Amino acid sequence: MSSIRDRLKRSHEPEENAPGFDQHDTRSGSGNGGGVVSVETEPPLPAEARRAERIVSALFLLGVLGAVGFVVTYIAWPYRYGHAYSEWFTPMLGGTMAIALFGIGAGAVVWAKTLMDDPETVQERHHLNSEPEDRAEAASLLKAGAAATGIGKYPILRRTFLLSQGALGALAVPLLFSLGRFQFKEKTLSTTGWKKGSRLLDELGRPVKLGDLDVGGVKSVFPDVPGGRRMADSAALLIRMRPEQLHPMKGRENWVHEGHIVYSVICTHLGCPVKLYEQQTHHLFCPCHQSTFDAANGAKVLFGPAARNLPQLAITVDADGYFVARDDFNEPVGPSFWERKPHYKEPKYSDSGTGA
Amino acid sequence: MRARVSNYVVVVLALALVGGLYTAFLSPRSKADDTTNQSMAVQEGRQLYLQGCSTCHGLNAEGSSGPTLIGVGSASVVFQVESGRMPLANGAAQAPRKKVKYDRTQIDQLAAYVQSLGTGPEAPTDAQLAMVNDGDLALGGDLFRTNCSSCHNFAGAGGALTRSKFAPPLKAADARVIWTAMASGPENMPRFSDNTLSPQEKADITKYVRFITSQNKDPGGAALGHYGPIPEGLVIFLVGVGLCIVVTLWIGARA
Repeated sequence: MSSIRDRLKRSHEPEENAPGFDQHDTRSGSGNGGGVVSVETEPPLPAEARRAERIVSALFLLGVLGAVGFVVTYIAWPYRYGHAYSEWFTPMLGGTMAIALFGIGAGAVVWAKTLMDDPETVQERHHLNSEPEDRAEAASLLKAGAAATGIGKYPILRRTFLLSQGALGALAVPLLFSLGRFQFKEKTLSTTGWKKGSRLLDELGRPVKLGDLDVGGVKSVFPDVPGGRRMADSAALLIRMRPEQLHPMKGRENWVHEGHIVYSVICTHLGCPVKLYEQQTHHLFCPCHQSTFDAANGAKVLFGPAARNLPQLAITVDADGYFVARDDFNEPVGPSFWERKPHYKEPKYSDSGTGA
Repeated sequence: MRARVSNYVVVVLALALVGGLYTAFLSPRSKADDTTNQSMAVQEGRQLYLQGCSTCHGLNAEGSSGPTLIGVGSASVVFQVESGRMPLANGAAQAPRKKVKYDRTQIDQLAAYVQSLGTGPEAPTDAQLAMVNDGDLALGGDLFRTNCSSCHNFAGAGGALTRSKFAPPLKAADARVIWTAMASGPENMPRFSDNTLSPQEKADITKYVRFITSQNKDPGGAALGHYGPIPEGLVIFLVGVGLCIVVTLWIGARA
C-alpha cells in the first residue's frame, strides 16, 4: 500500500509538468472539476465492514456507559468528607467522564478510518477575490438596498439614525474610565489597612503585646481594622532580635521597639509572601525567586531580583503594652507599578521611642 | 630489666596523676556538693555530657568549637539529640538528621543537665505531650499554614532556604521533636515561645503535622513531592500535552 504522499504526487504529475500552469488552468483543467484532485480508496469488504461496525458500536456504547456512570456517580456516590468512599468521588467523576469521551472519540476515529468513504482530495489555491461580475452585482445589490430604505429621502430620519448610532458608541466611553490612571483615584495601590494607632493582631485576631515574642521569634501580624486579617496587602511580619543586632535605617530609629521590627511580607519583586525568616542570619527569603532581604538592616536586598527593600511599618507600644502601628506604610507595598513614584516621603515621629 | 620496670612505674604514676586530676576537677562529685539536691538525672546527664558533648561544647558547657549550652534549655537538647542531629558528625551548612545515639532516658538526663545550667525553653512534659492527642486539628492547620508552611511547605515536605540551608521535611519528626523545634527555634528556625504559641497551640500544630505527614493519602496518585501547583502544571503540560501530541501523530500515521 503506497503512502498518501506518493499517491498525491502521482496524481499531481501531469499538472506540475504542464507548461503555462496558472489559476485558470487549474479551475477549468484536469477533468476532476474545480481543480480538485481525488484519490479514491477501495470500500471495505462486507465482512470487514460488519466487524468494523461492531467495534464502532461497542465503543459508542462504552461512551454511553461512561456518561450514565458519570450521572449515577454524581447523584449517588457519597461525597461528604469522612465517608469511607468520599475521597473517590472526584476520581470517579473524572474516570467516568474520561470513559464517556474516550468511547465516543475512539468510536468516531475508528468509524472514519474503516467505514466512511475516504477520498483524499487536493485543491490548488487560487486568488481570494471574487470574479469582477460577482463583485459588480454585490455592489449594485447594496446600492439598491440602501435606496429601498429611503434614507436619502428623509433627512431628519437620517440624522436621528446617525445620532442614535453615535449614542451607542458613547456607551463605551464610561468603560474607558475603568482603565488606566482613573482607577487609582483612591490610591488603592498606595495604601493598606494599617492606620495610626492600629494594634498588631495575630492570625487568630489577638493583639500582640511586648513579651509575646522571644528573641529569635516571629509573628505574622495584621491590622486591627474590620476585615484586616483578610487584607492581602496588609500582611506583615513582626520580628524580634537582640536590640544590638538590629540596625534600623537612618531616621527610622524610633520605628522599632526594643529589638522588634515589622516589615511588609509582600515581595517587592512580584508580590510573593516573604515569610521565610532565618533567625541566625536575619535573612528574609522569598520562595518564588530567591530574593533575600536583610531584616537586621532595613530589609535591604542582599540577593535576587527584588527592586527595593521591603516596606517597613513604624511601630511603638501603647499604654497597655500592646504593639501599635504609628501609621500606614509610607510607601506602596509589593511590586512596582506604572504610577509608583521613585521616592516617598519619610515621616518623622516626634517622640524618641525606645529605639533599637 | 631495671629500666623496663621503671618505665612501668612511670606509666602507672602518670595514669594515677591523670585520674586524680580528673577526680579533682572534672568528676561530678567535686561539683555535686554545691547543689546538694541536684537530681540523679542531672548527674547522669552530666556524665553523658562529658563523654559525648564536652569536646565541642566545652567541659562546663561554656562553648568551644561548638556554641555554649548555658541557657539554651532542655527543649533544644531534646530536639537536637532526639532527631539525631547531635552529636554532630562534621561541620556543614546545617546539621543533618542521623541515627539517634541516645535512648529516651539518656536524652532526658542530658536535657535535665543542660536545663540545670541556666533556664531556657523547656521540653514538653508528658502531660503536655498527651495534649497532642486531643488537639484541635483544624486550628492546628490554620496555625501551621500561618506560622510553619512558608518554610516547611504546606504538606510538611520541607523547602530550600538561602545558601544551602533548608527547612527539613517533617515526616520523620515525632511529636516531641516537632514540639521542641517550635519551643527552641533550632538553627535558623524562629523560636515560638509559649507566649507566641501557647502549649495548647503547640499541641494543635503537632497533631496537625503528625496527621498530614503520617497519612500518605494522595488521591491524585503521584504527589510530586508535594511541591504544589507549579510542578503539577509542568508535568501536566509536558507529559499530558506530549501524550496528546504522540496520540495525534499516531492517528495521523495510521491514516
